[in-house]
Amino acid sequence: MTMNIEMENEAGAPEGKTIMKRSKINLSFSQVALGAIALAWFVAVIVPLIILFVFSFFTTEYFQTVYTPSLDTWTGLFASGRFEVTLRTLRVALTVTMIELVVGFPFALWLAKSDIGKTTRAIFLALLTIPFFLDLSSRTIVWRAILGQNGLINTILLSTGITDAPVEWMLYSEFAVHFGMIPALFPPMVLPIYMAISLIDDSLIEASNDLGATPAQTFWRVIFPLALPGVVAGFVFTLGPALAAWVEPGMLGGGFVNLLSSSIESAYTALRYPVVAALSTFVIALLLLLLGALLLVLRRFGASGLTLR
Amino acid sequence: MKDKLSTYSQEELTRRSMLQGLAAVAGTMAVSGVAGMPSAAQAQDLPVVRAYGVPTAALKDWAPMEASIGVRCELSGTSNDVGVFMRDIMASNLGETTDIFIFESGTEDILGPRGLYAEIDTQNPELTLWERTSDDWKRSDVVTDPAGTQWGVPVIGNADSFGYFPAKLGLEPDSEEELSWSLMFDDEGTRGRVAFGKGWAYSFPSAALYLKSTGAAEIGNVADMTGDEAKVVADFLIERKKAGQFRTLYGAFEEQIQLLTNKEVDVINCWEPAVREANAVLGADATRYAYTKEGYFKWGHGAYVAKQAMDRDNVDNIYKVLNYFLSGEYRALQARDRGYAGPNMDLGVAYAEENGWSEEEVAALKATEAKVAKKFAKPFVSTTTPQHSADIEDQWQRFLNA
Repeated sequence: MTMNIEMENEAGAPEGKTIMKRSKINLSFSQVALGAIALAWFVAVIVPLIILFVFSFFTTEYFQTVYTPSLDTWTGLFASGRFEVTLRTLRVALTVTMIELVVGFPFALWLAKSDIGKTTRAIFLALLTIPFFLDLSSRTIVWRAILGQNGLINTILLSTGITDAPVEWMLYSEFAVHFGMIPALFPPMVLPIYMAISLIDDSLIEASNDLGATPAQTFWRVIFPLALPGVVAGFVFTLGPALAAWVEPGMLGGGFVNLLSSSIESAYTALRYPVVAALSTFVIALLLLLLGALLLVLRRFGASGLTLR
Repeated sequence: MKDKLSTYSQEELTRRSMLQGLAAVAGTMAVSGVAGMPSAAQAQDLPVVRAYGVPTAALKDWAPMEASIGVRCELSGTSNDVGVFMRDIMASNLGETTDIFIFESGTEDILGPRGLYAEIDTQNPELTLWERTSDDWKRSDVVTDPAGTQWGVPVIGNADSFGYFPAKLGLEPDSEEELSWSLMFDDEGTRGRVAFGKGWAYSFPSAALYLKSTGAAEIGNVADMTGDEAKVVADFLIERKKAGQFRTLYGAFEEQIQLLTNKEVDVINCWEPAVREANAVLGADATRYAYTKEGYFKWGHGAYVAKQAMDRDNVDNIYKVLNYFLSGEYRALQARDRGYAGPNMDLGVAYAEENGWSEEEVAALKATEAKVAKKFAKPFVSTTTPQHSADIEDQWQRFLNA
């Protein structure tokens, strides 16, 4: 209604006033749009989280939710070791993410700024996208035939006399889970970093060199800060799937690497929604803490645009 | 002497039966054009009964049923995860579109009284085989609730134990010796060579049965342990896990087969068909399915009618399908193809004899009946919905996280 009245007044007003009123109209429209988006976001994201949090204070008896508030579900998280599951999941996900970053950043830098030809670059980019077209279970289960007691690697080790007995830790272990997750999550880390580095103007790097900076100084003071948006995106795109990993722990962990997804699945078999809610709430709280810490770290690198400063 | 119970025999029979079946199908196809017998096109016109449940209850080919009762069954498969199954029925209101639910025992205790399953009308004229079906099956816990209300019709059943490599355990390939569950949990010879299912509903009770049998724990009902009882069993399993007893904790049927065929383990608590599949790859009697001293994970699948289906105009067809699950044809085909038993096994044998099955095949059916009878004489009856599920699941998590 306000917008209509202002538009009607606009017709007979002097030019200066018209501009002022146009900005008022735009401002009002922006505010409405912003409000609508905020409301939609609140309904779609915040309300479910609140419901999730509230649900964590209920319990389950004989496959039925008991809507009497209590702390039983939360105390049960600690008694059943599910608290450790959350920390273990976080540890594994962060380890994998950091390995991806350490391996992926140099690769992305090489891909974006080295002297390789366009064809070679296109081939490597295509190779990075291939995993998106293949089923993760199919890709993961292959490792069993390679890492198992009677697998390819052990067969080679035994036949060449390098070992006397099969190496058992290669499969059904945390090592195997990490090993399976790293190739699967390599593209989500590399591609955003590659995009960010590609956008860095070469003249900035040349200027840094011309001004006498060492390659290390150019990297830390020019390339890395400018690549930070890609690093953050890669970090989030890798950490998220790593936290929710289900296939690799299931197929390569042999049940000995109980991560969050398996724990939630187990609770779900008894329709223990409150346990699922408590676990999810706990993880979200840990993630918020983690992102807060990440932003603080980024501030030290001068990435003001990422720190809401 | 030939071992009638050997999985090899059954595999061989299956192969022969398949060839005979192919010949029969070819003959039928040739005749149908002349004599007007049901063809694939005609099958499309048959009335349809929609089912939702575990695919193990399905025939490998529904064509014999369509020819016998003139009803087509469309089964949407689900895993054996009771949480997913019950959520689908309760939250997704599956009864609006589904006529029959097929699942392991336990769901009827919850979904029946809550009004999601319809009580079985044992007087329905289409349920012609009800009266001659033994109470051992039709009045079992699989299809009735604790109050005795009849919520389902028995479909198939078996008594699960563990598969093993006889050669690795120093046993004869055709041995029918009763083995102890200690091979799974507590044997120095199998330490590090055991695969244990990682689902609490399937694996926890077997460990409890072993501890109860040895007197190491006092447990009332191993299929529905109290929190304290489950804690004792979890403590034992944690100790065994830390001692390196288990090579892996598997999650799926396909993994059972792979672990056996790869010879990654020597012993595994698994479904009987996994042993059959492994032997199909490794050769006759390479693996065996154990007769045990202590008992078995006895399970049964029931067929339950959706409450809403009773208000539709398909009830007669639904009861024709329910009756078919009690028939000799279904019994014979299920026993031959999967090794599973069920009600009215004698009708299965009669069907095989009347339809020209070989003596070996008929003998295998009788052997299946004898095998299940022998196993069913021992404890314990499983359930997917124990009263203490929350406590049991918590203790199982302790084991997994240790």
